[in-house]
Amino acid sequence: MIVGEQKTLDEIMGLLGDAHKVLVAGCGTCVTVSFAGGEKEVGILASQLRMRSKLEGHPMEVDEVTVQRQCEWEYIDPLAPRLGEYDVILSLACGIGVQAMNERFPDSITLPGVNTVFLGMPVEQGIWEERCQACGDCILGLTAGICPIARCSKQLLNGPCGGSQNGVCEVNPDIPCAWQLIWERAVKLGREEWLLEIQPPKDWSKSRDGGPRKIVRDDLRLADME
Amino acid sequence: MKYAADLLEQVGLERERVRMVNISSAMGAQFAELVTEMSEQLKGLGPSPLRVDD
Repeated sequence: MIVGEQKTLDEIMGLLGDAHKVLVAGCGTCVTVSFAGGEKEVGILASQLRMRSKLEGHPMEVDEVTVQRQCEWEYIDPLAPRLGEYDVILSLACGIGVQAMNERFPDSITLPGVNTVFLGMPVEQGIWEERCQACGDCILGLTAGICPIARCSKQLLNGPCGGSQNGVCEVNPDIPCAWQLIWERAVKLGREEWLLEIQPPKDWSKSRDGGPRKIVRDDLRLADME
Repeated sequence: MKYAADLLEQVGLERERVRMVNISSAMGAQFAELVTEMSEQLKGLGPSPLRVDD
């Protein structure tokens, strides 16, 4: 899932500037699960905005809404009739949702209230870790199911490097060495041979190096049904 | 509770305006004591600035 983190109230207040009427728009999918922009966070932030703006002498009128997914037209289209009422929409979705709102409703201003941080998972309650970089060319089948692109600080394809000490990364002792994890898992599975082949340089053109990416599935496109 | 107090502080209110204690229904005297203590604390802080202009 996409993991987000809410911006500070100070930053959000700065973004909103002198807006008088604000709609705080949450998203019911990834940012709900990462406790950054779901219905509950929308309610808390909207209350904070009302209180803070009143204390600062320019009370804002703040409404709340949370849609199932801000990154799909069908879920945000029902918002259209009411958006004209607001000076600003503060989206608590990820960067995809914020852009979807701006693209679909070009006459409204939608600002981000959340920083989109990474693709990952909650490893335990309250702790999220990065697991995928969406590189576009998955190599998990070669690396014992542990991704060195997302989890090795140097994105090495043939690790570990000399900075791996006692199973942790030299970049930060809180980062387990991905290649140590890969080796240990391969040994446990009796598949050390997986790691004997030297991996050639990765084709980064399938990642961001090839520019923004796009997938077209003609079999799914409604325009091509005839 | 720290989270709730942090939220208040971000808004610009004193974090001492919110408090949670664990107390049983059989502890009437202690409950009264805590409420009195909280009440005195709030009097010290003064009325909420959010209510002053209402």
